[in-house]
Amino acid sequence: MTYKAVVADDEKELRTYLKSILAEIWPELIICGEAKNGKEALELVESKRPQVAFLDIRMPGLSGMEVAKRIAGLCRIVFVTAFDQYAIEAFEREAVDYLLKPVSKERLLQTVQRLKNQLDASTEPPAGLAEVVEQVLSKLPGRGGTDFLRWIRTQNKDSIRLIPVEEVDYFKAEDKYTLVITKAGESLIKKSIKELAQELDPVQFWQIHRGMIVNVSRIDKVSRSLTGRGMLRLKERPELLTVSRNYLHLFKQM
Amino acid sequence: MEQHIPINLKNHINARHFLIDLIYTILISALIAAFLTFTGITTKSFIMNLIVSQSFGISFCSIIMFLLWIFKPERIASLVFILAIGVASGTLIGLQIGSFILRQFFFITLKQQEKSLFQIIILAITFGSLITYFFYSQARLRVSQELTQQERIKRLSSEKEALEANLRLLQAQIEPHFLFNTLSNVLSLIDTDPASGKSMLVDLIHYLRTSLSRTFPDSITLDQEIDMIKAYLNIQKIRMGERLRFKIELPDAVRKHPFPPMLLQPLVENALNHGLEPKMEGGEIMIKAMEKDDLIRVEVMDTGLGFSSFEKTGVGIGNVRERIKLLYGEKGRFILEENHPNGVRVIIEVPKQ
Repeated sequence: MTYKAVVADDEKELRTYLKSILAEIWPELIICGEAKNGKEALELVESKRPQVAFLDIRMPGLSGMEVAKRIAGLCRIVFVTAFDQYAIEAFEREAVDYLLKPVSKERLLQTVQRLKNQLDASTEPPAGLAEVVEQVLSKLPGRGGTDFLRWIRTQNKDSIRLIPVEEVDYFKAEDKYTLVITKAGESLIKKSIKELAQELDPVQFWQIHRGMIVNVSRIDKVSRSLTGRGMLRLKERPELLTVSRNYLHLFKQM
Repeated sequence: MEQHIPINLKNHINARHFLIDLIYTILISALIAAFLTFTGITTKSFIMNLIVSQSFGISFCSIIMFLLWIFKPERIASLVFILAIGVASGTLIGLQIGSFILRQFFFITLKQQEKSLFQIIILAITFGSLITYFFYSQARLRVSQELTQQERIKRLSSEKEALEANLRLLQAQIEPHFLFNTLSNVLSLIDTDPASGKSMLVDLIHYLRTSLSRTFPDSITLDQEIDMIKAYLNIQKIRMGERLRFKIELPDAVRKHPFPPMLLQPLVENALNHGLEPKMEGGEIMIKAMEKDDLIRVEVMDTGLGFSSFEKTGVGIGNVRERIKLLYGEKGRFILEENHPNGVRVIIEVPKQ
């Protein structure tokens, strides 16, 4: 029986290269389509129903992993990557097939042998791959929910700017919006204090009041007022900020 | 040297310091009493001298500490004023307390003789001022020691920051993804299009050599940096084909200006990795250098995916911002803004050296 495969990579030259060595070591394999981005790969697999898909991990639109999640039960997948440490470690662990660029003939030969064995035994493609990929994706840096906000988007005259959170002295609620106070000035952003409190790194930013979050590295000192509230002074700023009773415990160890 | 130390005694007025200074005061007052008795400056007994000098000493100490705690003087004039007030009121109160104790417990009334009283007051003021000055210089010494300590910590941590920035720079220089993808391309082009393969390899060699030689940043000129970026973009152009276009504007006026190495490259790399590569139809990168008064201004613009792609990442860009801060402090600028109609625009300004 002859098998069909699709090759997906955003770089034309690399598709050509993979095809050329595949032709050499697995001449019976028919390359029924090439994709230059994730979306095309998905469409190709769905329309041509190949037995194998070679997916580059970094592709515009949908990444190779995202494509794999959707086609996991449809065909066997071999990931191709130049360098994705996290993913490779996970693939090793889960016995997911992958190739490293530049693809070597010896390594491809192993993969082809394994694919042939599986296909000839006519076992179903493992649907569990979707879960494995999901797990890997959630652990990749910059994808999971553990990353904190690093830039604040502000309106500046006629342009929109990103300012790094480290430059913010404090955030102050203004109705539904939030005032961002930096050394350079103030600007209003659409995010609420509540949203910010969830997105900012809690080690770097402390909420001191229902409507206020301060940058810890800018705190000069905190003193108790006669009424029991805390008064907080920031470095190089004239104003005194109030720490409400609920948040005073943050300063106990200082 | 003294002039450089700000009077920041306010941090030193706490219960512990108060107690320590009080104990010193009591000891010194006892010494003064002994001194007065044995030299015969006063004709009174040691016990009497002790009581009087303690009343003065403790009054001085408490009043001055109290005033410092309340007013927290920051300028030297107000500090001197407070010390003077302290000595004056300490003299008055100390005199009252001293004579009160002597009258109550020893049944000795200080005679209202002008001379004796006058002598006590003169002695009190003289010693009071001397001792106050002693404490003041002690506190200054403490402050200056702490300041030097802080300076040291500050210097060490900024050295550490610079070192870390260098390390990150080194790590960021050659992105493995870029390197292996380029090599794969070269490998393939050897068969399909040897001429392109060769030129790609030449660009890669140029790029690697220049970026590796810049691990320990020497001064380079702007056109050297742009040259390296061109090599980088040429490589990316072969990889991405039609999806990448780039334009570089480098006027002759700024070509030969010294420029810190590896400031621009991470910006270009960021524009590619987060802006253009993930975008299906790709786009354009534009680099524009210009003079602006005594600044060199370089803009890196792309028409890629824009802010949404790196609101939570942009590590490379963060490093550039940090390095500008480390190198130029307030004189350097780093601005990140939305490009019209799409993509990101980064503006950096550094002083002409």
